[in-house]
Amino acid sequence: MPDIKCPVNQTLSGLREAIEAGRLSNPRSRRIAEEILDLLTDVAWGRAGTDHLTAIASLADELAYDQASPGAMAAAKSIRDALGEHREVFQSHIDTHNCASGDCVRLVPAPCQMTCPAGIDIPTYVNLIGMGHDAEAIEVIRRDNPFPWVCGLVCTRPCELMCVRGRVDKPISIKFLKAFASERALSDRHYRNPAKEPDKGKRVAVIGAGPGGMTAAYYLALKGYGVTVFEGLPVAGGMMMLGIPRYRLPREVIDRETAMLEDLGVEFRFNTRYGKDITLKSLNSDGFEAVFLAIGAHQSFKLNIPGETDFPQVIESIDLLRRVALGDRRIPGKHAVIVGGGNVAIDAARTCLRLGSDEVTIAYRRTRAEMPADVDEVEQAEDEGIHMSFLTIPKAVAGKDGRLTGLECIRAKLIKKDDSDRLFPVPVEGSDFVIEADTVISAIGQRIDLEALSDLKGLKWTRRQTIQANSVSMETSIPGVFAGGDAVTGPATVVEAIGAGKRAAEAIDRFLSGIPQPKMPPVPVRRARVEWTEVPASTKMTLRRPEMPLLNLERRRTTFQQVELGYTENVVREEARRCLRCDICLRCGKCVEVCRDMMGINALEFGFLNFDKPEATDFRVTAERCILCGACAANCPNQAIRIIDRGDERLLSYCGTILNRHKLERCQDCGAVLGPPRYHEFLRKRTQGISPVVNDLKLCSACTRRQAAKIHADNIPV
Amino acid sequence: MTFHKGQKVEIFRKSDDESWGEHMDQYVGRHGIITDPDTTKNDPDALIEVSLEGKGTHRFPQDCLRLLH
Repeated sequence: MPDIKCPVNQTLSGLREAIEAGRLSNPRSRRIAEEILDLLTDVAWGRAGTDHLTAIASLADELAYDQASPGAMAAAKSIRDALGEHREVFQSHIDTHNCASGDCVRLVPAPCQMTCPAGIDIPTYVNLIGMGHDAEAIEVIRRDNPFPWVCGLVCTRPCELMCVRGRVDKPISIKFLKAFASERALSDRHYRNPAKEPDKGKRVAVIGAGPGGMTAAYYLALKGYGVTVFEGLPVAGGMMMLGIPRYRLPREVIDRETAMLEDLGVEFRFNTRYGKDITLKSLNSDGFEAVFLAIGAHQSFKLNIPGETDFPQVIESIDLLRRVALGDRRIPGKHAVIVGGGNVAIDAARTCLRLGSDEVTIAYRRTRAEMPADVDEVEQAEDEGIHMSFLTIPKAVAGKDGRLTGLECIRAKLIKKDDSDRLFPVPVEGSDFVIEADTVISAIGQRIDLEALSDLKGLKWTRRQTIQANSVSMETSIPGVFAGGDAVTGPATVVEAIGAGKRAAEAIDRFLSGIPQPKMPPVPVRRARVEWTEVPASTKMTLRRPEMPLLNLERRRTTFQQVELGYTENVVREEARRCLRCDICLRCGKCVEVCRDMMGINALEFGFLNFDKPEATDFRVTAERCILCGACAANCPNQAIRIIDRGDERLLSYCGTILNRHKLERCQDCGAVLGPPRYHEFLRKRTQGISPVVNDLKLCSACTRRQAAKIHADNIPV
Repeated sequence: MTFHKGQKVEIFRKSDDESWGEHMDQYVGRHGIITDPDTTKNDPDALIEVSLEGKGTHRFPQDCLRLLH
């Protein structure tokens, strides 16, 4: 590899070193240097805008004014020189979001990390868990996500869908590993907050104690801001607490992780509603310089059918889940019908069952194939005895003497319309029927409470009735007011809200520091580069993703105990060993090409390298064909493939997976290492007729030359 | 088209939807996986979550997505 250094990375490291070493003693110079550092970090992370370089140059000029400080002068000169000589490289980082040298490691993250909306360094923590370092793993996670335990239980795990191991067999069970490590770290009292920056003397208000709001509060507190979270309800957690039933996410999990925020100094004010108890004006007059709106989407859509408002037994799923979450355990009805096919419908149905309903039916307009709820959730619900009534369109709520008696429905059939390839449910004439019920629960989506924000006259809304906010900086149309979570995206996932809260905290910090906002979403940070664990190829191929043990069915039908019981320690450590370490291997495929095309051996069956059409992968095949020549290792840009001599063996490893190992042969004359027999044989065949063979001896090239010269001298007459 | 979790898709064009940000132009032509479709009611107008290979996870309007087979 040519030794090309990246000027962006070098400038960044040099400046960071100067700051950390205290070479910028003047506070003003140090502040300017830190601002430059932030802007350079944007460049190195691939999220800078067109004005970043101008801003860096201008700040470097300001830094150079401090002629009393040699450190400031030197830093300013080095930044100006780098920009002058390598401006196009800096610009390339901004334009392409790539670092050709690979020095800016943040620009080559693993697919799982890149996929995580919170940007967690997944390969690092998975491998730390594999080594038994659970507390360290949680420290790594909590630098990017304050709720590892919550996410370990309820994350929608986009990382697993992108996991490269999934192209070999099944993805790594990332979510459950995180849950295990969180529990272990908390149990061992090793679950700690990162260090806080010094107090900045500024206050930020967060509206809503859901995952987005609390994440923003966490990062702002870490950055040294005084943060107050205003919550309309008497508890923290938002949809995590109110929308997710306890059998999936126990309350203690939320409470423990929320308590960590309080330890950081975040103040919570419960039972305080925005629009009623507080307004933007009152917050500003109380000294809050920025506001983050994370009010979620807590209102339900109506069914809009006759009878819906005539009976108190027609309830909204989100209301049911909320009151149960707050401790109400009354049965909504013995025969419950839930209208909808999403995750909330499933949660409402399973909750009714646990509250004591005898019969619970989910009525959905389409078929199982179109059902939007998670397949796993649907399966668990059916296991518990929930009935599914597909192709069912609710027509009216039926009742007598003020009591609900059933849901009048009509059968649907699915048809394709000319201008769409979607299937639409249309009623089948004459197919009316009634599902007997004493409660009907609607679960057809949520929206945000527009009324609550009516004092914000300048706030722009989308046509979907969500807050219009920049998806990178989370800025709204009102300066100093930021928004994120479900209030911006519509009902989405916990981990997305966490990602939004994190971006908002960064943007608020920039807003209050007067530095430009990023133009691109952040590239996640590699938190560490942990050593790999050696695993034989056969083990790597035969380890299987473990099944999650579940609570027995009787308890699932009668209690709110956690359904997923968690992995055992042995299972967790084994599972982590399946990781392919995509934080090290960039999947460029050079190793495969060199082995196949240059060496003509084709020993690397790495079908997982292809994202669109993965082919077969078998690490065991390498041992059958590989000659241990090392061409793959020599051409690997990231040292993911290594060839090493250990004792009397030569080993080829791919991110710790031992692909091949053979005994070494030594020169029969001087004892120098020749390589394994296969390699020696390969060379002998290739050089036959060129290189002299000396009495069939196995000799190194120096000894071969010496011996050949001797034979030559002996045989030529003087 | 009804999208489901785990399906491979391509961002085959820009969308005129208001949710399309300027920075999304660079995603046109990229391939990815549906990580969170509309899990409530299969709304064709809902923004759905897609993870793009090497480019992170974003919410897109459905009119810019097509399935890869």
